[in-house]
Amino acid sequence: MAVDYDPTLINKVFEVTDPVTVTPEMIQKFCQGLGETNPLFTDAEAAKKGPYGGLVAPPSFAVTFRNGRHFFQHVPRFGRAGFDAGKDAEFVQPIRPGDKVTLHSHVKEIYEKTGRSGTMVFVVVRSTLKNQNGEVVAHIDHRFMNRT
Amino acid sequence: MKFEDLHIGDTLGPLELFVSKDQTRAYARSGGLDAPRFTDDEGAKKEGLPGMILPGNMSLGLLAKLVTDWIGVSGARMVRLGTTYRVPVQPDHTLTLSGFVTNAAPGERIVEIDVWIENEDAERLVTGTASVQFPSA
Amino acid sequence: MSTTLDLHCHSEASEDSRAPVEAYLNWITLRRAERPLDGIVLTEHRQFNRDADYRALEDKFGLMVLRASEVETNYGHVLVFGVNEDILARFDFANIRLDAQELIDEVARLGGIAVPCHPGRPNIGLCEHYLTKPALQNVVAVEMLNGGSRKGENERSEELIQRFGYAATGGSDSHLVSLIGLCATRFAAYINSIDGLVRELKTGSYEPVDFRPKRKPVARAVEAEAK
Repeated sequence: MAVDYDPTLINKVFEVTDPVTVTPEMIQKFCQGLGETNPLFTDAEAAKKGPYGGLVAPPSFAVTFRNGRHFFQHVPRFGRAGFDAGKDAEFVQPIRPGDKVTLHSHVKEIYEKTGRSGTMVFVVVRSTLKNQNGEVVAHIDHRFMNRT
Repeated sequence: MKFEDLHIGDTLGPLELFVSKDQTRAYARSGGLDAPRFTDDEGAKKEGLPGMILPGNMSLGLLAKLVTDWIGVSGARMVRLGTTYRVPVQPDHTLTLSGFVTNAAPGERIVEIDVWIENEDAERLVTGTASVQFPSA
Repeated sequence: MSTTLDLHCHSEASEDSRAPVEAYLNWITLRRAERPLDGIVLTEHRQFNRDADYRALEDKFGLMVLRASEVETNYGHVLVFGVNEDILARFDFANIRLDAQELIDEVARLGGIAVPCHPGRPNIGLCEHYLTKPALQNVVAVEMLNGGSRKGENERSEELIQRFGYAATGGSDSHLVSLIGLCATRFAAYINSIDGLVRELKTGSYEPVDFRPKRKPVARAVEAEAK
């Protein structure tokens, strides 16, 4: 028995989020939460001499951008509440303060398997992050796990 | 650190890290993740969890930091990171973060790295792989 | 002459692994002193990698690469060794609700052997299913050592295996290059093919071997926020 969903929803981009302007404070707060000390991410003066010529966000900052609530209206629900099962992130270029980031998301894949938590349906949502120049900064595959 | 100086089998860490509940809440709130499972034990238990857990993104961030600390200011760049959350990570525990260089592509100047987070019982809670690209010599 | 094989691992052909087979073999070569393996058996999830050809890699590294499958049943996950056209025609490996008893009996009839794995794991291991359902018939071997186990799971597996008198295997269940070969199975006989492996698995003349490094203990943090 395969998972029951409308196959035409795969690869359809439902929503482009409103741009989020990245501020130095957002990067600073993010760094504090992780205990980040790398000067490329925390020290604007030192970062000027680094490979990026200025402060950039740590790569993992890219996974914190979220889809709007409308996106998930299009994603089929399976069973109880979903959990974050993992991510695959491709970091194309660094995110800098002042960047205006938008998310372009679609459902990439839906599949079933069994594991420690029982039968699970995985919904993989791919979000492409673009900056104000339309350049791709990252691709993030979110694997949402739904227990059924 | 230069691509030419790296070898398959080189290690990252191990780094022992105590992650407190307060740090977990700080991370969760900085990212707008205010669900009870990330902020309070009682709320988490109502969701069937043993207590507060770290957001997956925070585990990913800690593993990313293991890699970017290893890179330092050398000019190499982490171009990919994939994570699998096998077991919920609970705060107020000492986590051990480790990594190994497992493969190298000289043409693209990319190395592949295994990374993971273990608890005190050596259970691997989060596993992942990262790719790091080095600038041309 | 004995043969030591990692009977449970996943390459990039499985959806949740990115490990190239060549990197596995390279890692075993690098760590041969600690993990003295003669080869690995790829047990890709819910599929049989029928067309893969690892002969050039086998020659390059002097290690054996055999192919098998890990499928999902009503009694948890099961490794299938000796997969052939008849078995593939009989079962849809992508089906996560296979009937375990039927799988064990039919795979044996068609020339292979089905070995339930990580029995100590919740939901997908035999132990939990044996609490509510009758024990499976005609099981020869069960995986006792699994490199991906949580604390207590391998111990639970061992208990079950002893109680039912199953033969015991070991495998790393590696999804990462550096975890290959941490657990394995040592066979009394010399094995150099999948047919030889199936034949030996049916004899019971083997034991699980544990190559996991003993890690220095990490102190538990004081339960500061106990109240």
